[in-house]
Amino acid sequence: MSNLEISQDSINSIYPKVAEIIADALGCDEDEVKPDSSLINDLEAESIDFLDIVFRLEREFKVKIPRGKAVEDARGELSEEEFEQSGVVTDAGFEKLKSFMTEVPADRISSPLKSAEIPKLFTTETFCKMVIREQQG
Amino acid sequence: MSDHFRAFSFVDRIHADESGKRISGEYLIPEGIDGFPLSLVAESIGQCAAMSSMAVVDFQFRPVAGIAGAVDFCGEVEPGDRLQLEATLEKADEEAVGYGGVATVNGEVVVRLRDCLGPMVPMADFDDPAAVRARYDLLSGEGAEPGAYAGVPVFEFEMTGGITGETAEGRFKIPEAAPFFGDHFARRPVFPGTLLMDLNLRFLSSLVDQLPGEGSWKAIGMTDVKLRAFMPPGEELALRAEVEEIVGDRAVIRVQSRRGKRLNSGARVLLSQSK
Repeated sequence: MSNLEISQDSINSIYPKVAEIIADALGCDEDEVKPDSSLINDLEAESIDFLDIVFRLEREFKVKIPRGKAVEDARGELSEEEFEQSGVVTDAGFEKLKSFMTEVPADRISSPLKSAEIPKLFTTETFCKMVIREQQG
Repeated sequence: MSDHFRAFSFVDRIHADESGKRISGEYLIPEGIDGFPLSLVAESIGQCAAMSSMAVVDFQFRPVAGIAGAVDFCGEVEPGDRLQLEATLEKADEEAVGYGGVATVNGEVVVRLRDCLGPMVPMADFDDPAAVRARYDLLSGEGAEPGAYAGVPVFEFEMTGGITGETAEGRFKIPEAAPFFGDHFARRPVFPGTLLMDLNLRFLSSLVDQLPGEGSWKAIGMTDVKLRAFMPPGEELALRAEVEEIVGDRAVIRVQSRRGKRLNSGARVLLSQSK
């Protein structure tokens, strides 16, 4: 599913609950959770927190969000080799990522980008979009 | 004799395992040990759920402690008690096990776990998959011989500071060696999160003594329990407890442990004051 098919209205409709879930999982105030907060860099989330957040979102929204789904969706029709090589996102992959993750401020995405660092880009809105994509099937 | 499946294993028998959905079992707390903290009752429930989840993934992965949304301390146990264990699994796959459960003694709930999540790790990194499978088969069949657990040491911690009635700070050095490391886990020793849970409950006792009121305060549960990293033998943890809220006869104390600057674990302890 392309990024363009997710409207801001759709994001806004679930944002408060997603933000609440993220705040609960990270033990921070909801005020600290902004739409463009980087969960890792701004809210100090770690891998266990991602697992926690996804589990809570799955339960709240009755969806299933498989591990690595966000990156898989971002990769789109590109093969793994076309998307990344030796742990670094290719130029084609980079462009794909930028066009897919429009919620991430442009100044945070710079090349070269290690694929292991993609989760650092994830914002609150990224999680909203994950939920919406799964809701829409 | 090996410590594997003896020094830190708290399921003697699996009564029924509805693959990845529900499991029940039991554990007889050995006579002759000094005591059995409720955190280890929670461990028993978790181990029961772990068995079911490992069978689902053909023992290629095993869960480790991660998150407990809530742990309710509803009763007390003592050596000689037989725990009846039940866990309901919401999720069991190669990523994680999500579950809740209860432990009862003579029909009375002593510990209840809610909204727990244990991330899966490759089994072979932590234990022998064939040995764990054989253990599951043993527990599901004739059961294990009860009484293997011989207790754990009472871990000492050092108080380093704090503000009277508000915070407490301390330091805890994880032992370099202990029998339970041979069972948790056989190929990669890690300090169990439930022992840290028990340590935290003892650590905050000095702060609890400073809470207002004439009655005695007692921990009735924990929420938002989260382990962020493995705790290997010999590591030093900085402990901190902070009174977060006091409303009437209820109080909440937040506990954290850090390794250096890194937050290692966190939880809220719920306390109730008896008149």
